[in-house]
Amino acid sequence: MDPTTVMAVICSVVVFAGWLVLPHSPTSVKPVIVSEERQPAAVSA
Amino acid sequence: MKIDSGDTAWVLASAALVMLMTPALGFFYGGLVRRKNVLSTIMHSFFILCLISVQWVLWGYSLAFGPDKGHIIGGLDWIGLNGVGFAPNPDYAPTIPHQAFMLFQMMFAVITPALISGAFAERQRFKAFVLFSLLWATFVYDPIAHWVWGAGGWLHQLGALDFAGGTVVHISSGVSALVAALVLGRRLGFGKQKVEPHDATMTVLGAALLWFGWFGFNAGSALGAGALATSAFVVTNTAAAMAALTWMTVSWWHKKQPSVIGAAAGAVAGLVAITPASGFVNVMGAIVIGFGAGVVCYLAIQLRERIKVDDALDVWAVHGIGGTWGALATGLFATVAINSAAANGLFYGNPRQALVQLVAVAAAWGWSIVGTFAILKFVNLFVPLRVHEDEEVIGLDLSQHGEPAYASIHAN
Repeated sequence: MDPTTVMAVICSVVVFAGWLVLPHSPTSVKPVIVSEERQPAAVSA
Repeated sequence: MKIDSGDTAWVLASAALVMLMTPALGFFYGGLVRRKNVLSTIMHSFFILCLISVQWVLWGYSLAFGPDKGHIIGGLDWIGLNGVGFAPNPDYAPTIPHQAFMLFQMMFAVITPALISGAFAERQRFKAFVLFSLLWATFVYDPIAHWVWGAGGWLHQLGALDFAGGTVVHISSGVSALVAALVLGRRLGFGKQKVEPHDATMTVLGAALLWFGWFGFNAGSALGAGALATSAFVVTNTAAAMAALTWMTVSWWHKKQPSVIGAAAGAVAGLVAITPASGFVNVMGAIVIGFGAGVVCYLAIQLRERIKVDDALDVWAVHGIGGTWGALATGLFATVAINSAAANGLFYGNPRQALVQLVAVAAAWGWSIVGTFAILKFVNLFVPLRVHEDEEVIGLDLSQHGEPAYASIHAN
């Protein structure tokens, strides 16, 4: 393999293997309460 | 010379693709600002599309690509497109009408000053922006375009490789953005209150449209519908994807969450970095370039935050540093197996090319810093660069344009 291919393989391995050690659940965040109800739009007849 | 219909169709279609990138940039930037400034941010890109379209046919194309004057600038022989007709110009594109080449290049000239607008978002006076953009296109973009792409330009003669604008478009705009951010100063409340993107979906949509348009930017720069355009298309997509994956991974490791905006910014960084290399490197080179873009541009943002420079939308980090990495990487990974008309890079036995690329990068940085600083100071003599504090608080949509982006919301 030429040097460019070797570097490309190493870069790909770093990124793909890196996902194995990354946090798998998000950090706790303050929940945002939003209303599911929509206000009726004013529609003129 | 005979006009090739396939080449002409591809270059015209590519010009349309690149045209789409400028309003796409407006949406990319527009989503990142607060809602009181979204319209003014989009207006920067839309206005520049109009302004530079006219500047380019009047004098911009002649300065950039006209008959060489001292290896520094094009002459005024082609002012008003005088002499720029439908017969091909062998110096630039021997198989398409000269006006098709001019049109394609126009779209590059359009998007470059639009990129800078991200640095002074949310605080620049519109009139100052108008004057700055016109002067910058004339005195910074046009000369650098001539140096690198113009027949007789000194960097062109030196052998600098820039397939689609790493130095001409991205270093010039990114470095100028840094200068503009320093000269204008920070936004009110910078560092004290968090400025959240008002619409991340708009930003991701803008990034996706930029990616789409970039196929015209890079593959269109082959100026023909053939193998080189295909190769440029493949490496462009590969580098964008690899940079997005890398940026997301780095930010995931650093901030503990995979950022959606980070993935979009990473894709743009990869597109920037592959731009100068897209006609010279193979797909393995594109993976390395994309990986490098994801890392160095992310680190550049951390540096920019640490030194407290308010480059509002990180134009310097993504375009200035991404463009620099791409231009230097071209000197490492270029191979004549992809483009026999070019040169090998360092890893293919030609260390000189790496040095030539370094000279091109230094020249683009130097002229961008000097030219942008001088133009901003000159404009400031006639029009204050920044809006008043109360105008900044109420937002530029209302204070500069008298229109809110969203009818029911008038501030932040």
